[in-house]
Amino acid sequence: MRDRIQEALKHSKADYTEIRIEEKETTRVVFRGKELEVANANIDKGGIVRCLIRDKGWGVATFNNLDDLLNKADQAYQCAQVGSVPEPIELASVEPVENITTVEMKRDFRDISLAEKKALAERYNQVLLGHSDKIIDTQAAYADSFTHLILANSEGTYIEQEKPSVVIGAFAIARDGNNVQQAHESLSSTQGFEYVLDKDELARKAAQKAVELLDAEPVKAGQYPVVVDQTLAGVFIHEAFGHLSEADFVYENPKAREMMTMGRRFGKGLLNVYDDGSIPNLRGTTLYDDEGTPARRNWLIRDGELVGRLHSRQTAAKMGEKASGNARAVNYRFAPIVRMTNTAIDNGTTSFENMVKDIELGIYACDAYGGETLLENFSFSSGYAYMIRNGKIAEMVKDVILAGNLFTTLENIDAIGNDFKWLNTGGGCGKGNQYPLPVGMGAPHIRIQNVVIGGE
Amino acid sequence: MDIFSQLKKQAEQVEVLSLQNEKTTVEYEANQLKTCTVAETKGTAVRVIRKGRLGFAASSDDTAMDKLAANALESATFGDKALFSFPDPKPAPIVRTFDKAVADLPIARLVEIGREMLDLILPVEPDARCHISLERSLVSASIRNQKGMDVSFKTSPLSLGLEIDRIEGDDMLILEDQLGTTVWEKDYLAFTRRLMDKLKKAKFITSIKPGRMPVLFAPAGILALGLPLSRGLNGKEVYKGTSPMVGKIGEKLFDEKVTIIDDGTIDGKFASASYDDEGIPRRRNMLIEKGVLKSFIYDLKTAAQSGVESTGNASRQLFSPPEPSFTNFVIQPGQTPLKDILAGIDEGILVENLLGLGQGNIISGAFSNPLALAFKIERGEIIGRVKDVSIAGNVYELLKNVAAVSQEVQWVYNTFYAPYVLLPEMNVMTKTESPSN
Repeated sequence: MRDRIQEALKHSKADYTEIRIEEKETTRVVFRGKELEVANANIDKGGIVRCLIRDKGWGVATFNNLDDLLNKADQAYQCAQVGSVPEPIELASVEPVENITTVEMKRDFRDISLAEKKALAERYNQVLLGHSDKIIDTQAAYADSFTHLILANSEGTYIEQEKPSVVIGAFAIARDGNNVQQAHESLSSTQGFEYVLDKDELARKAAQKAVELLDAEPVKAGQYPVVVDQTLAGVFIHEAFGHLSEADFVYENPKAREMMTMGRRFGKGLLNVYDDGSIPNLRGTTLYDDEGTPARRNWLIRDGELVGRLHSRQTAAKMGEKASGNARAVNYRFAPIVRMTNTAIDNGTTSFENMVKDIELGIYACDAYGGETLLENFSFSSGYAYMIRNGKIAEMVKDVILAGNLFTTLENIDAIGNDFKWLNTGGGCGKGNQYPLPVGMGAPHIRIQNVVIGGE
Repeated sequence: MDIFSQLKKQAEQVEVLSLQNEKTTVEYEANQLKTCTVAETKGTAVRVIRKGRLGFAASSDDTAMDKLAANALESATFGDKALFSFPDPKPAPIVRTFDKAVADLPIARLVEIGREMLDLILPVEPDARCHISLERSLVSASIRNQKGMDVSFKTSPLSLGLEIDRIEGDDMLILEDQLGTTVWEKDYLAFTRRLMDKLKKAKFITSIKPGRMPVLFAPAGILALGLPLSRGLNGKEVYKGTSPMVGKIGEKLFDEKVTIIDDGTIDGKFASASYDDEGIPRRRNMLIEKGVLKSFIYDLKTAAQSGVESTGNASRQLFSPPEPSFTNFVIQPGQTPLKDILAGIDEGILVENLLGLGQGNIISGAFSNPLALAFKIERGEIIGRVKDVSIAGNVYELLKNVAAVSQEVQWVYNTFYAPYVLLPEMNVMTKTESPSN
């Protein structure tokens, strides 16, 4: 294969050519209610050639038939020929690399029978169903995928990577009369089948939360100090801030460019945020991105100041900055675009007890349940929450929606916990048509003053 | 030995679907030609019934057929008890879905069509930012099963999509429209002119007081009512018991002006074909006739679960098993000319486009959408655009009383054929208090 790829790269007449070949095997088992809904395996193998003619544009060819790469390189070149960009496209320089890596899983899920995977999902489904007779619907899912990825370009880069992923999810719907509540838990690993075994506790937690929410009162609207748990803080920094750091959003939009000026204050001095695809075994880890740029730690906010952003080679060249290792594609059917890897709020110094103890009346918001951002405005739902009364965690409340302006909210973060945690949830991030891209998120507990909480 | 012959020895029933797709896409972003893509997809999906249980597997790697066969058989170890058999071959209607004129369109011609669209728009609307996607595909598929079915079909979908955003002061308007066809359409710029016409009409902004009033739905707007119904008429929702229309066949549920047909046999349309994705002949299914519920749509599995016949509505992607799905959703036009409908409205709104279609709990019939484009009608005239307006209601209540259905009818979103529909009264909300005048 390597010879054929290199032959095609040599053959291409474009200024820059890149070839990616991907082979992916997936297994999926889903129980819904009492029934098995899915138990099957799929094989997806294909490739993409991407060509750049600097003063014309990009041409792309994607395919399943890998027999004739020369022809595909020609097709991509012809596609690039029709473009007409107003100014030539440059790519930030990246040192060519040759690297072949393989992964070793303790228990390789490819050697586990479908029967055993089915039994695992069934067991978690039983935990969900058996928790309470108020649980009226469930979904317990097992999914794994193993990807072998080759990336080569006309500058001499040749990289082979393997990317395993295994995910379990538990979803419960509880009902009491017209009151219907739901809760979800998931767990992912890049290291093998054993990491998703013996997780009855996870399924139980989903069922328990759904049932507990039946008795929770809706939160009273108002302004509160809010302590946010690691999950919600991680999702918040990814959604409300991280996407604004993606350079493709900034460089075509004058309004966004102004908003994201380097050196601008983004919170108090205690806030530090980074994106890092080089940390071993996290969900968003990718040693090289899909343009062959090595992953590294990119500081985005340092001591409350905007210091960096995420780039592809094209956006980096255009803005006179360095490629950051964030050009990623969800699969071989797509060209890479600027994406996050593992995004985090760095650890702080405050203990959870100290964060809560001075709050007379506040909210402890946990878990994320969807959200929306539009430029600097965001709105997030927490999965569940508790009132904080006189420095203590009190009764559970529901329907806690945090809404506000990103800048005000970051500025109002006045305590950062010392209990940093990476979230190992499943799922992924969507952008353009490319979904779901595995990403990692991490944070300690954080405290935000004066958060507007909607509700009755 | 090919996978079909191999599996026939190992399972009671076998179905092999082969898919091949070749797609060329030209994309303009903010009036600039940005990327051109050629995508070729090829794959095989297999269903088997072994020991009475259904298994499924798919692959895009044609060198991995043994593994594909093994995956399908392993899947059948745990699959549902199959209540149906793969069908006998049956004669199907002749439906035109392929046109050499579309299939042979070169990239250069797609680029040119994009420029023609820009040349039509930019001289009139110099501030418009146009995003254009021009896509031509060549799809071939074949289905074989152990009963001797061996059908293959070819389609040539062409889709031209246009999104325009226009910013004037604080006002930001985003509109979109598209043409989707499998045979060459002579007047391929008609949809661009239709969008230009809307942009022009949208220039004058007026206000409206919230309250109950007549609401006239344009063909694209009527989807707010059509989407909940399409979910409710789907045999899968009926079998699960979640459709509000369960058990109501033969009952008059709606105004007699409401007639809805699923028609997969209309020449040149995206959702049309001679056969569905299980090899059952496509057909014209009368679902609601003069307000009376006549039928639901089914694939083989949901039909067997419900004790009826498949209606030829199986639809599938390579990596997932078939599901019942609408072909072309046809709302029958009525008797009244649009101008007469307008003339009869003293004060009301015309709903052209909505935001967030299909979101929320639509199976219940409930919808609540902000309006992306709506106009105020006063004494029979369209007098200006209204902003920050939303509508909400329940389809199953609203369609009991329809004031008029227009003669004029239009294809929207490629697979919906709809007239203008006037509801005599529904609730219209505005975001801000409207100024009193």
